[in-house]
Amino acid sequence: MFIPLSILSEFLFIEPFVIFHVIEDRIVSFVLIASISLMSAIVIPMNIYRIRTLQKSMTKISGSVLGSIIGASAGICSCGPIGFSIISTFGTVAGTATAFLTNYEIPLRLVSLGLLCLVYYTTIRSISVECKIQ
Amino acid sequence: MNKRAIVSITFVVLLIIVAISFSSYQSNLLEMHDKTKYLEKIADKTASLLINLENGSPQLGSDVAPITIVEFGDYQCEACYYWFHNTRDTLIDNYIKTEKAKLVFVDLAFLGNDSPKAAQASYCAEDQGKYWEYHTILYTFQDGPPDSGWADRDRLNSFAFSLDMNMDEFNECMDSSKYAKRVNANEKEAIKQGATRTPTFILISSDGTTKKIDGAQPYSVFAAMIEAML
Repeated sequence: MFIPLSILSEFLFIEPFVIFHVIEDRIVSFVLIASISLMSAIVIPMNIYRIRTLQKSMTKISGSVLGSIIGASAGICSCGPIGFSIISTFGTVAGTATAFLTNYEIPLRLVSLGLLCLVYYTTIRSISVECKIQ
Repeated sequence: MNKRAIVSITFVVLLIIVAISFSSYQSNLLEMHDKTKYLEKIADKTASLLINLENGSPQLGSDVAPITIVEFGDYQCEACYYWFHNTRDTLIDNYIKTEKAKLVFVDLAFLGNDSPKAAQASYCAEDQGKYWEYHTILYTFQDGPPDSGWADRDRLNSFAFSLDMNMDEFNECMDSSKYAKRVNANEKEAIKQGATRTPTFILISSDGTTKKIDGAQPYSVFAAMIEAML
């Protein structure tokens, strides 16, 4: 998840050379991307394990997937190729939507991170209760 | 409707949007690829002649500079703002002032309603010999997302006023949409050249070789590409 998000947010360029470039103004955004990727990497496999092993409901994994989607979509730069395609295809409404995602990038990523942390906490609690040896 | 259904519907809608956008992107690429093939077949001219720069900005730099850097950009684009403030000055100092390269800006004004207006205003400023000053002021005062008001008509007027431009002439130029076709032609040229984001750069050497740089890449990438082409 980290690599696609870095490419989408223009921190990582693969052409003409592979180069990683984080400018000072965007350090907060980069740290949030790294945190969301890390939390998604922990929470999603943990929930898959929980569902497969303990046959539990999918509520928590929905939360973690939703958190990851919010975090990822907040990074869609309207100037980037995805933003360009969306605006070219859907017009002004899409322009407004991508502008919203760009403008509220940091709050949206914080919400995403909060959601992932909440899912992590509740999953840990439920696993420790459900896996307790009687 | 339960939570699972809402999440599932949201996920499906997002997937559909991504799929449509991706297919549109792919078809654009294919179309561009076909156009490029066609152009390659019919043209025995150099690649530089295939890029129509006559509607672009005035050239920044010397005529004798062997490399031409073409920037396709939007005044409301955040990435263009970052490139302007982090890379452009070093590039000007090391390559444009030393007559190794020249820069031409071509509008790809797609981000909102204020984008083409800002681009037109820059050409109205060109009429008064202040294109690059106006270009600089637009990227200096970019503030907020597209169409948030930072580049509305009042602000465009205030930028012109702050550059001591003749306001009657500027207003007449803007009211008549004198440069609307020029901006539109630039957008078409950018798409024809395969620009699918802003900023996109095409470097053209004196022998017609071209290299493309997508996105607001750091100075080191430009330096390496230019040095390789010199």
